[in-house]
Amino acid sequence: MTPESNGDRPPVAGEEARILDHEYDGIKEYDNPMPRWWVNMFWATIVFSIIYAINVGPVGSGDGWIANYEADMVAFREQHPEGAPTADASQLAALASDPSVLAHGKTVYGQMCAACHGDDGGGTIGPNLTDDYWLHGPSLPEILHTVSVGVPAKGMPAWDKMLKPEDVNAVVVYVATLRGTRPANPKAPEGALVNP
Amino acid sequence: MTAPPLRPSVTDAHMSEFDDVRPGATRLDSFTYDDAIVRKFLLATFIWGLVGMSVGLLVALQLANPVFNTELPWLSFGRLRPLHTNAVIFAFVGNAFFTGCYYSSQRLLKARMYSDFLSKFHFWGWQAIIVAAAITLPMGFTQTKEYAELEWPIDIAITVVWVAFLVNLVGTMVKRRERHLYVAIWFYVASIVTVAMLHIFNNLVIPAGLFKSYSIYAGVQDAFMQWWYGHNAVAFVLTTPFLGLMYYFLPKAAERPIYSYKLSILHFWSLIFLYIWAGPHHLHYTALPEWAATLGMIFSVMLWMPSWGGMINGLLTLRGAWHKVVEDPVLKFFVVGITAYGMATFEGPMLSVKTVSALAHYTDWIIAHVHTGALGWNGFITFGMMYWLMPRLFQTPLYSRKAAELHFWIASFGIVLYVASIYSAGVTQGLMWRAFDETGRLAYPDFVETVVKLLPMYWVRVAGGSLYIVGMLLMGWNVLMTWRNRPAQYEEPVVTAAPLSGRYVEPVPAAVPTGGARKGPIGRFAAMDWHRRWERMPIFFTVMTLVAVAVASLFEIIPTFLIRSNVPTIASVKPYTPLELAGRDLYIREGCVNCHSQMIRPLRHETERYGEYSKPGEFVYDHPFLWGSRRIGPDLARVGGKYPHLWHVRHMEDPQAITARSVMPAYPRMLSAPLDFERIQKAVDAMAMLGVPYGDAVNNAPALARAQAAEIGAEIEAQGGPAGLGDREIVAMVAYLQRLGVDATRTPAATASTAEIIAP
Repeated sequence: MTPESNGDRPPVAGEEARILDHEYDGIKEYDNPMPRWWVNMFWATIVFSIIYAINVGPVGSGDGWIANYEADMVAFREQHPEGAPTADASQLAALASDPSVLAHGKTVYGQMCAACHGDDGGGTIGPNLTDDYWLHGPSLPEILHTVSVGVPAKGMPAWDKMLKPEDVNAVVVYVATLRGTRPANPKAPEGALVNP
Repeated sequence: MTAPPLRPSVTDAHMSEFDDVRPGATRLDSFTYDDAIVRKFLLATFIWGLVGMSVGLLVALQLANPVFNTELPWLSFGRLRPLHTNAVIFAFVGNAFFTGCYYSSQRLLKARMYSDFLSKFHFWGWQAIIVAAAITLPMGFTQTKEYAELEWPIDIAITVVWVAFLVNLVGTMVKRRERHLYVAIWFYVASIVTVAMLHIFNNLVIPAGLFKSYSIYAGVQDAFMQWWYGHNAVAFVLTTPFLGLMYYFLPKAAERPIYSYKLSILHFWSLIFLYIWAGPHHLHYTALPEWAATLGMIFSVMLWMPSWGGMINGLLTLRGAWHKVVEDPVLKFFVVGITAYGMATFEGPMLSVKTVSALAHYTDWIIAHVHTGALGWNGFITFGMMYWLMPRLFQTPLYSRKAAELHFWIASFGIVLYVASIYSAGVTQGLMWRAFDETGRLAYPDFVETVVKLLPMYWVRVAGGSLYIVGMLLMGWNVLMTWRNRPAQYEEPVVTAAPLSGRYVEPVPAAVPTGGARKGPIGRFAAMDWHRRWERMPIFFTVMTLVAVAVASLFEIIPTFLIRSNVPTIASVKPYTPLELAGRDLYIREGCVNCHSQMIRPLRHETERYGEYSKPGEFVYDHPFLWGSRRIGPDLARVGGKYPHLWHVRHMEDPQAITARSVMPAYPRMLSAPLDFERIQKAVDAMAMLGVPYGDAVNNAPALARAQAAEIGAEIEAQGGPAGLGDREIVAMVAYLQRLGVDATRTPAATASTAEIIAP
């Protein structure tokens, strides 16, 4: 198995002198030194790891992931207070007269709300949205509040966390239009009577 | 094509040169190698490879379109995904390792395997285990812990067969006729010893029936043990055995000496010692204590160069032989395989960095990472090895070298399609999850949006995987045609070698000293002649590998179990009710954990999406833990109370009716299948044995479960749902889902009512 017999050239001058005298099933080994860059990189990762473990400056876990999270949340809440509504009453009123918004609201309703309130708003798991009885109020800002924060005790999710603001607004103005329609199988009234 | 066929190897099996001829060694042993067992393992490798990859293709299709889940329970994603991973890891890669190990060990040790019986026992035992896995996993018998899903009777069988393999190899080492152990053998032995240790300690369970058991560890500790195991299954099943194969088959095929003996020694020991620590990097930002995660990360970073040591020693061995790579499909497979190994082992340390993990964890990035390893490294080393072995084992030239070339190009193209699409899917989803809009709300609050976005990439993956399988079929045809040209009777060349004499003195110096040799203890250490002595003591060597991996393990395991502050208790966290426990078993049976995590990380986008981050104390009764590792659906850690019961009933019956674009399989049979109330007693008893405070439920679990089930059934009906669900599986499922994550935020009154259900 000399290199010459295979038409090979020894890749490094003098390397053949470094061949070890043992052989396993025809396999020989060179006694080449480990590549310098490899050894240096190995040391570098060890040094990095020690510095990281003792947490020096930017190299390390800082105050830990919980503390980092809490600091992040404080800064974030300062900028974006929790529970800010996605629209005020006048904005909602403007949206309610926009047919494209209502059409979008209908689509969102079909995807997200129909499963519990029925395709036509007649109510199944959730209450009937077409009658004059309301658990949490029929005005646009009231519906927006109910949709946004949900009614966790009864299984109505807080859609503010699950839908984009424009989707929440659109579905709210769409839901308001359901009132007074005639669903196929209306659920019995729940809540207080609110005259139109 | 004018290139000559690959040479048959009968002449390779020579052993004419004896490096062991010593004065006084007059007797020569004559013996043969057992190649029949190698042929068997080679065939099994191909068959199980095809099976494992085909199941992979099916689950890839199911992710692209849920219609492929069909109506059959045993073909749904949650049950098949573990079959895919187990088949590829233990059946395909496992058998490939055994193929190469049995062929090369005999030749490297100049001895037939210690016992033909043990060889056959190993072969047939392993195949029987695979068949058992292929039957039980689709039936829903699972421990759920990744790559350790097989239930306890199969685990025991694995232990027995594995020990038979270890005895067979160590026996061969003891009766060897080669004085020193070659580096390939070091890797084989380290792999076998370590896998035995990992397998036993991660699979300690309390049985609750023939095919049902509960991990003895709970929550944080169970997660820690699982990823100590899971990460090192990657290390000692997919990495080190294949480094051993590389060290034999690459120099044989290239006919070049190994680049550096010293590099072999250093990267071998550093690799096995450092690898063991790295597991916790799978649990960054979870409820695992951060000190453990930090250890996992820094040891992964330090692992980078030891991993690359193998790649360097492989690629530099090819110096002076690159012109052969152009002609030889075997070497082409090896070069791409080693390169894929290099990429995956750079990526591993990178992914272990906490901030990178924050983006990549739970996404397809991890899936892409493991497929670079499995398709590139394991697959291509296996294919190269099989093409090299075929003419030697079947004693006839390879039937079609052109087909082997074509296999190489098709499979390479398949890998590129697979990983390119899945890397982009992973990064895309990770970025969508964490994106906020200018109003401070999640930019993609509806989870399904982040899934639908990936579907085109999932179809590209299907194409890439299909190409890889086409290549596999091409190899199958080549195996078949080569086998048909085999001689009527295989020649069994008789090999002669001198037995080892009792007395031996190591020659000094072993080699021409390399430049810059140091003096003193460091110089003596660096000269590595101490290691040369270790290499002629196989039992000692085996024990030292075990010491290296066991000591490193204990450094992490002992503090994880003993430091109480790792898991601060939460007073309001109570055991699951018997019915909820039954629901949890259904969740386990259906493999829900393969798509849904139950672990909210302390990251703003996660708590905004899912609620308060998960605390270690919430999981103290979770035998086994169900944190998951991939979110194909949303996290469920706090799904309890989020929706009405009826929502869950409808959603399980037909997910697309609730979420139109969902890729979740439907589970309509849960609404009709009766719940086995009597079995719940066994589950509660097993839990009680593990120290879960069940009180009176130990005596009347079925009655308690029936009462709660009737109540939930009535509530479902009251919400407008179907009547008569009160004794169906679905009520247990609903009960469990409604319990998830509520304890930590529960009011004292509610806590009392739960306690009543458990211990009235």
